[in-house]
Amino acid sequence: MSRNVLILLGLLVAGALYPLTGSAFITVGISVLLFTGWATSWNLLGGWAGQLSLGHASFVGLGAYIVAVGASQFGIAPWWSVLISMAVAGVLAAVWGKLTFGLRGPYFSLSTIAIAEIMRLVAINEGWLTGGASGVFIDSLPEPFGIDLFDKTAQYYLALLYAAITIGITLFISSRRFGYQLKAVRDNEEAAMAAGINPSVVKLKAFVLSGMLTALGGGVYGIFLSFIEPHLIFNLLLSIQIALTVIIGGRGTIWGPAVGAALLVIAGEIFRTAFAQANLLVYGVLILVVILVLPRGIVGEYVHKLVRRKYAKRA
Amino acid sequence: MQNVLEADSIKVQFGGLVAVNNVSLSLAPGQVLGLIGPNGAGKSTLFNAITGFAPVRSGKVSFLGQDVTQQPPYIRTRNGMGRTFQTERPYEDLTVLENVLVAAFLKNPKRKDAERVALSALDKVGLLDRAHQLSSDLNLARLRRLELAKALALDPKVLFLDEIMAGLNPPALKEMIEFLRTLTATGMSIVMVEHIMEAIIQLADHVIVLASGNKIAEGTATEVINNEQVIEAYLGTD
Amino acid sequence: MFDYVSFFQNLSNGVLIGAVYALIGVGLTLVFGVMRTINFAHGDFVVLGMYFAVVFNAVFGWDPYLTLFLAIPAGFIVGALMQKYLLARVIDAKPETMMLATLGVSLVIANVLLLVFGGEPKSVNVPYAAGTFNVGEIRISVVLLFAGLATLAVIIGLYLLLNRTEVGRAIRATAENRLGAELVGINTKKIQAIVFGLGMALAVTAGVALIPLLFASPVTTGALFTLKAFVVTVLGGLGNIGAAIVGGLLLGVVEVLGASYLDSAYRDAYGLLVFVIVLLVKPEGLFGKSVKRV
Repeated sequence: MSRNVLILLGLLVAGALYPLTGSAFITVGISVLLFTGWATSWNLLGGWAGQLSLGHASFVGLGAYIVAVGASQFGIAPWWSVLISMAVAGVLAAVWGKLTFGLRGPYFSLSTIAIAEIMRLVAINEGWLTGGASGVFIDSLPEPFGIDLFDKTAQYYLALLYAAITIGITLFISSRRFGYQLKAVRDNEEAAMAAGINPSVVKLKAFVLSGMLTALGGGVYGIFLSFIEPHLIFNLLLSIQIALTVIIGGRGTIWGPAVGAALLVIAGEIFRTAFAQANLLVYGVLILVVILVLPRGIVGEYVHKLVRRKYAKRA
Repeated sequence: MQNVLEADSIKVQFGGLVAVNNVSLSLAPGQVLGLIGPNGAGKSTLFNAITGFAPVRSGKVSFLGQDVTQQPPYIRTRNGMGRTFQTERPYEDLTVLENVLVAAFLKNPKRKDAERVALSALDKVGLLDRAHQLSSDLNLARLRRLELAKALALDPKVLFLDEIMAGLNPPALKEMIEFLRTLTATGMSIVMVEHIMEAIIQLADHVIVLASGNKIAEGTATEVINNEQVIEAYLGTD
Repeated sequence: MFDYVSFFQNLSNGVLIGAVYALIGVGLTLVFGVMRTINFAHGDFVVLGMYFAVVFNAVFGWDPYLTLFLAIPAGFIVGALMQKYLLARVIDAKPETMMLATLGVSLVIANVLLLVFGGEPKSVNVPYAAGTFNVGEIRISVVLLFAGLATLAVIIGLYLLLNRTEVGRAIRATAENRLGAELVGINTKKIQAIVFGLGMALAVTAGVALIPLLFASPVTTGALFTLKAFVVTVLGGLGNIGAAIVGGLLLGVVEVLGASYLDSAYRDAYGLLVFVIVLLVKPEGLFGKSVKRV
């Protein structure tokens, strides 16, 4: 466990120094960090509790919209809006989870898609709140400690903080009771019940935490974009990207989501500069590769082989 | 002294099939109850009904004086039922220790305490040296002991063993029987579903025989084994 | 006074569009019935059909319905091969793995189309596009009518296939009970490939029928149709063909009526809302067998 903490600290330092190397790829860095955070949050529900959500863009959208609307219409500072959005996300996840956890795997996933779609349509149509299809523009933000939040470097550090928070929370949970309850429920629900665990409650907690953390990232995303639009935010493709990032990187592992995020965002960027579009092709090809060859995901397979080798030597 | 477990006229029915037909049993503290019968007799179903993994059509299950018939399995566990599973069910990607940790966390929310309890359970079943091995790498005999450790880590008032002897070779069988004997010496009450007569003869204070969902005999191990109906039930299905 | 003409106009539009939805839904549900998997790429197969027609129209000037003669067998073959070499590998893993595989296929198809054709929406202009067929005061678009008729023809063909042929019987047996079918000597692997091919052929047909009416855009159209197909099949019950047909018609009608009499901006939301409600209340669909809630 402490090894992971060291890795996290090391990455934090590296991450903090990165902008100093030249700002050409700051935006890519922000994307990698945001996806790391979202993927790590998704992992709590999809990798550990075993519920495949294909609608996490709803939480991203909640975060982004509440921050944006809060700033432009009500003059609320983003740090308060973000807290509000996390609360709303938590409630949404609790209600939605309660209603849909009884559904078998694929049906649950379908319901998540539907919910995100409905939110998109609400955002388009309830213009009085959300600015409708033309979206919301953040034209001014407060300057905490004199920092200009529109500056890419400041946003980068926000994203870095976000990613660190999600991984930190994951690390904290993984060695404690809740983490083990999650793993047990994912691996074998009946055995978990026989061990005194109530699967529904555990899954619900995971969902709420996952939703709240994703919304936090959504808030940062909102500041980064400064212009929020329903199609952009409540986007099925975004949900799919988040889910696939984790599955390709390695569900249920600590670093899988981060590895997946780095790999996919960077590969996508390279692809985009070469072909100008269709950068999601990488996701499609990689998920097929993972399914056929690396079922546990990149980090998952690596960890599995590593542990096996350790004991093959012993035995 | 009050019975720790009482099952009253339990009936389990799936669609048109009656798997358990009005079976009653009781378990006194510190006793070992054996549940035997030919394949398909309904013993596993009855076992599942008592532990909360099969629905009871009619009848009542009382555990430590409480009516638990409608309680979900995890509540029964929290109240003191510790069960094993017949098929090997380790949490695949977890180590041996982690498997037991899951159970240990029930009564020990803090990691340090849970780890202590888990290691102690592993020590009791003789798996301490394999604590950090992947549970999917264990052989059958060790997996059985792991199941036992998981149940023990729950600090149960009654152990429910579902064919824990199945498939064990003679030395492993002897070991397991010995181990269970030491457990009962500490006053643990046990309900065991078994096919292996050796274990029943050596451990059970009281035996119930099921056939085709009905209780056909009850008594001590020797009484029951020499019961004509029981012999017929077993031979008849061979 | 209640505007009957308008109502029946809407109703007939709804039914006809619904027929095409039904076609898409039947393909999805057929695949589910035999392979027990939700095919995320189904909508993209429809889009493939659309682009097929676009290409043949652009290069050879063919009417979309003419391309059907090529599209249907091509769709069938590609689908069957895809199942045999890709999906068959993961059939015994968890159901979500298969779902992810189809998701992967969907992304690959959509993005390859994007690379090849670019992002601009494309359609096919047929000379009879604006024509209408009049029943009393009700005007029915000729294109819609053709779409509806094509759907009817295909569904009748499917019915005959499933109920009057050896292959059809094998398919029904496999859908009912894969293990049992194997035991009676049915080559279920071959059947699964055939069924997936059929599903794709049905999707492609729907795409061809729809292209004169709609614009095809590689990335968004596919997902839209897949979602509609889900709504249709879940409403009726996954695996239940008759129900998929009813579900498709229902969706078409609900959409059109909802848009006319209620807020038209929320047109797509009505189907979704009903879908979510059905999922929550009766996930096995209105006609389906129990889907075993956890």
